[in-house]
Amino acid sequence: MNTLYAAIRAGFEGLANWGLLPSALHFQFVGNAVIAALVIGPLLGMLGTMVVVKRMAFFSQAIGNAALTGVSIGVLLGESNSSPYVSTFAFCIIFGLVLRYTQQRTSLSSDVLIGVFLSISLAIGASLLLFVSARMNTHVLENILFGSILTVSPLDLNILLAVAAICFVVGGVFYNRMLLSSFSPSLAEARGVPVRLIEYTFVLLITLVTVACVKIVGAVLVEALLVIPAAAARNVSRSIREFVFYSVGFATVACLLGIIVPMQYNVPVPSGGAIILVAASFFAITALLRNLLPAFRVAT
Amino acid sequence: MPGPAIRFRNVNVSLGGHSILSDVSFDVAAGEVHCIVGPNGGGKTTLVRALLGQAPFDGKIELEGVANPVIGYAPQSLDLDRTLPFTVLDVLAVMNQRRPAFLGRSTVGMAEQDAMLRRVGLEKKSKRLFGFLSGGERQRLLFAQALLPRPDLLIMDESTSNMDDEGARLVEKMVGEASDAGTTVLWVNHDLEQVCRVARTATAVSRRILSHGAPRTTLAVRSFSEQRA
Repeated sequence: MNTLYAAIRAGFEGLANWGLLPSALHFQFVGNAVIAALVIGPLLGMLGTMVVVKRMAFFSQAIGNAALTGVSIGVLLGESNSSPYVSTFAFCIIFGLVLRYTQQRTSLSSDVLIGVFLSISLAIGASLLLFVSARMNTHVLENILFGSILTVSPLDLNILLAVAAICFVVGGVFYNRMLLSSFSPSLAEARGVPVRLIEYTFVLLITLVTVACVKIVGAVLVEALLVIPAAAARNVSRSIREFVFYSVGFATVACLLGIIVPMQYNVPVPSGGAIILVAASFFAITALLRNLLPAFRVAT
Repeated sequence: MPGPAIRFRNVNVSLGGHSILSDVSFDVAAGEVHCIVGPNGGGKTTLVRALLGQAPFDGKIELEGVANPVIGYAPQSLDLDRTLPFTVLDVLAVMNQRRPAFLGRSTVGMAEQDAMLRRVGLEKKSKRLFGFLSGGERQRLLFAQALLPRPDLLIMDESTSNMDDEGARLVEKMVGEASDAGTTVLWVNHDLEQVCRVARTATAVSRRILSHGAPRTTLAVRSFSEQRA
């Protein structure tokens, strides 16, 4: 894979030399980050539409914050400071599945339960960070919280590609069934959809994606990239096709601009913050369009 | 070929420590239209959810006569945010095809879907957003999808409660045709006059069975009201 990444980066550099791409792409780490963005954008864009339809924005935020705890546990257990994937994946998957399991077996409303889980996870993470901060410098901590393109390694890209392949295949094959099980579980069951299995599968997908994207977008902000592009797309879409394709487009462009613009113009902001600000600007523009132009006023 | 017969045997459902259904036993013959009536909160929808495997229950619910029957279900409504950009065709695609709906409609079953939309009077609204449909139009769509593909067992939950008279009559006619073609129909229904028009048998449920039999004799509006009171 390293050869493939090198070839893609060489392509970026060539285009940058001809002035067709920003000069920041001469840097290897920017090339890695752009490759990651080209994977993350479509991935989060597609899954984000399901998160919005299934009203699981708060749930994905809880998973994002759990990633912070997972990172802390990983560092405490001796994993690499820069890539504590085993602990992060393990903790987040357990966290997500336990949360979903509890949701299905309690009379508490979903937002209350997620709020409780989110707070517990954040409290554990914040407490562990005190111990962890002694083993790493502040910049590494900032990278975990808000993302950084400086640290995207070939290992990160490999993990991201593997997660993306799983999510595109599973998410694509089960897309309709995942939507249907949220429209009407009874109807989905009648049509032979294993609703509970599908719900747990979706939780797993969200968890995998969240952890794989923490490096670029940051634990605090990764949930926003699942929700904001899809919310922006919803503002101006008139069919499910437009909804998904606009969402993918907004997420991908936000990732690319959020990575390249700060580098190109020496703006000292973390990549996660820049990406989310670009996505938020799409939301603001589409919300304005929806309210100002009758053609976009598609639903009330 | 007739659809499955349904056998409910000593079905008990409790939720949160409250008994919703108690010792419910009755049969629905293959290919007949059977209505379940009863007051609000009487457990009708819970009975349907138990049949669909969505509510845990004690007792037995058996489908006999057809191996792996195709089940069509028309719910009262969809838990779908009305502002989402899903057209009528998108909703049908989500329900009827494996190809992700955002990649467009599958050619498999497209003609049947178009014909069904024409039949229920929604062909000119196929590109309209689901959230823009009236309550009655939404119920027409939910009824239409339940007939795609042709079901062995059709389960309807108050499917005409928001429809105008013309829509309700159309559904009654289509249910009759489905039954003639062999489909077993189980219809949760509040409209007792409609029950008398369409059903061969009916069961009145309010936690337990109040009465069961031919609708005109055992579920006449007056006698049912007296039992409910």
